[in-house]
Amino acid sequence: MHIPDGILGPAVTLAGYAGTAAVMAVCLGQIAKRDDPRRDVPKAAMLTAAFFVASLVHVPIPPTSVHLMLNGLLGVVLGWFAFPAIVVGLFFQAVMFGHGGLTTLGVNALVLGLPSLLAFALFSARHRLLPAAPWSDAAVGFVAGAGAVAAAVVLVAVVVLAGLPAHVDPDLERRAIQVFALAHVPLMVIEGVVVAMVLAFLRKASPELLLGR
Amino acid sequence: MWFGSDSAGRCGLALLALVLVSLAPAPPVLAHAAFLELRPVEGIAVQGRYDDGTVMAGAQMAVFAPNDPARPWLTGVTDDEGWFRFVPDPAIEGRWTVQARQAGHGAMAYVEVGGEGEAMAAVMLMAGGDEAFSPLQRGVMTASVVWGLIGTALFFQRRRAA
Repeated sequence: MHIPDGILGPAVTLAGYAGTAAVMAVCLGQIAKRDDPRRDVPKAAMLTAAFFVASLVHVPIPPTSVHLMLNGLLGVVLGWFAFPAIVVGLFFQAVMFGHGGLTTLGVNALVLGLPSLLAFALFSARHRLLPAAPWSDAAVGFVAGAGAVAAAVVLVAVVVLAGLPAHVDPDLERRAIQVFALAHVPLMVIEGVVVAMVLAFLRKASPELLLGR
Repeated sequence: MWFGSDSAGRCGLALLALVLVSLAPAPPVLAHAAFLELRPVEGIAVQGRYDDGTVMAGAQMAVFAPNDPARPWLTGVTDDEGWFRFVPDPAIEGRWTVQARQAGHGAMAYVEVGGEGEAMAAVMLMAGGDEAFSPLQRGVMTASVVWGLIGTALFFQRRRAA
């Protein structure tokens, strides 16, 4: 789920950076409004580490393999901190391992970060969506985790197809994207389960870490 | 009588015309057999792989010559084993770029054509990126970043405690 350098044209990559700067400004503005903006920095740093390592963990799904994304988990646990955490994580992934690229950092941040914020919005609204019950956090967590992966796949498809250069066969690329999307269906289930389990664990072990109790 | 009847006269004229036509110089396109000349040339075979080792089968390839980096000199598709083969024009010297892309993933490689000594030299294969590092190097790099982030967490935790 990392678009590398050289795939997208300069207009799309610049638009990606502009969009990322705008979303980052909104997130940092929301964080600055808090009583203690630094309170969640340790949590954000730890989850950035988890996000950074996750892209190295390959889940074999024949005939290919996909890697964990954890963008839904970051959204649900970190809230507004999720987007900056993803930008930092993507930067290190690009610089260290060439996953993604520096020109596409903005686009990749939007592709993974926007679904992350959607997961946060969904989780924040869980008390209005479901009755308060021990299972409701886990249920919303599953949908948020799976939905964040699905949204990221859709965004990648839109960005790639919108920025297709003339020499690329669009039909072949569309078929490749369909295979790519299908390979991510099991990952949606895996990430949904991961988020649900983490939330169930946090609820028991340290409920103070849950957003919007 | 040779030309006694009309039909015999027409036949003779036709024959004469045929002789005249056969004597006229024939256009070269009607010439004879075709030949194929075969000779081995130095080419480039490039294989696309993902960082988990899966080959990029059916990936779209584009080859860019150094004199026109905007328009591909050649396009094609990798085979089932992820291979794509091409022969660069030796007259166009410089760094050729080979790009593979598939569903938003991709990699670039460079080939130096011409110059002194070696005719061609593959410069760099950048498929996925991290194949250039040994597992130990990757482990140290990962641990460094993770430790940096844990250190950040501890730093802010401590400030809060203070």
